[in-house]
Amino acid sequence: MNLDYSTIMPFMPAFIDGAWMTVKLSILSLAIGLLLGIAGGLCKVSESKLMRNIAFVYTWIFRGTPLLVQLFILYFGLPQLGIRLEPFEAGILGLALNTGAYCTELVRSGIQAIDKGQMEAARSLGMSKSIGMIRIIGPQASKIMIPPLVNQFITTIKNSSMVSLITIAELFRTGETIITTTFRSFEVYTIIGVIYLVINSLLMAVAHRLEKGLSAHDRV
Amino acid sequence: MIEFKGVDKFFGRNHILKGVHLSIKNNEKVVIIGPSGSGKSTVLRCINRLEKIESGDILFNGQSILKQKQSQLSTEIGMVFQRFHLFPHLTVIQNVMEAPLWVKKMKKEQARELAVSLLEKVGMGDKLNSYPSQLSGGQQQRVAIARSLAMHPKLMLFDEPTSALDPELVGEVLQVIKQLAAEGMSMALVTHEMGFAREVADRIIFMDKGQIIETGTPDDLLSNPKEERTRLFLSRILH
Repeated sequence: MNLDYSTIMPFMPAFIDGAWMTVKLSILSLAIGLLLGIAGGLCKVSESKLMRNIAFVYTWIFRGTPLLVQLFILYFGLPQLGIRLEPFEAGILGLALNTGAYCTELVRSGIQAIDKGQMEAARSLGMSKSIGMIRIIGPQASKIMIPPLVNQFITTIKNSSMVSLITIAELFRTGETIITTTFRSFEVYTIIGVIYLVINSLLMAVAHRLEKGLSAHDRV
Repeated sequence: MIEFKGVDKFFGRNHILKGVHLSIKNNEKVVIIGPSGSGKSTVLRCINRLEKIESGDILFNGQSILKQKQSQLSTEIGMVFQRFHLFPHLTVIQNVMEAPLWVKKMKKEQARELAVSLLEKVGMGDKLNSYPSQLSGGQQQRVAIARSLAMHPKLMLFDEPTSALDPELVGEVLQVIKQLAAEGMSMALVTHEMGFAREVADRIIFMDKGQIIETGTPDDLLSNPKEERTRLFLSRILH
């Protein structure tokens, strides 16, 4: 056995910087992805065929192609069309669009899981469709959606390691750099793994509390 | 108050309402009976525009409902559903306050006062902060009636309000509806409770296969039906 974590201790500040970059990437792309998902999900259940088609094409493309290909098109491909994105911008955009496509399906299925009678009752009380969606369907659907959304968020956080390939110095790429000077692959990769685990555990803990809060009406 | 002029309604290829003509006058209580699939619930659902009609017209106080805003229409027409459809994430009082707050933009204090008085009226004044899942079916339906009354409707539609209830809970809901009837509320009810229909109805309409077969006072229609189909239906449900 030749394990020595002490040699990489001096690199802790670098790990923390990398982890911070991963957290920033994740929070931004999850926030944008969630908004895209809500918009996309509403399009999917809309009465307008055009909206439904737009949402269909969006999810079809972004769920049907690898995230890596999407990131490479955004960062390496677009400059050819005269659109030059910073690595961070391309990374956020790619992760957000990808997450948004999956969230679209989750939001759609969450809305459709609510009894049709709920919207009918809202409408018969004079609520418009949008008020019914915000006040009646939304709160019920979001409770159902939390567990699958958390799954999706965890996937996105882990997938954020892929933006290392478009030169962003997030956690994974930081680790790679440290290995080139220390040659301590096992130690570095296990530390990276633990940091991802900590970030995701925090997310799961927050989700758990949120879910409990929204379930107030299930208590009998 | 309500007038159907040759209303047709299709679900896909099924012709659900076939040129229906009917009218409901102010303060009148009309009960619609008929076998399942006869279109009686659809008649109610067309009145408050939960269903679109394919041809004909429906007038509410002389104006076509097709040209009126849903929000306007629904403040004048209340609906009570077979399966209650209370909002499960809201407490009893919040269920009743929801529409006054968000549709009528009523002040919170005022909406609360209104909700409390309506819930007391339907005998639910002691369950203000319960959630629907904590209530029996009969209690849920009484809350649903209060929720609907909060918009001060001129006409109430009841779509089989007791069909989803255990037999021992039917009475408490019918009691509330009878009380409303006695206060002069205009009503259209779809029900299988013939004793109740006889007691509360000014007029009973028998429907079958999307058409109105026969209309009459409870005594005429239930005791002396003229049409064979009405007789057959009544003999089946009254044994």
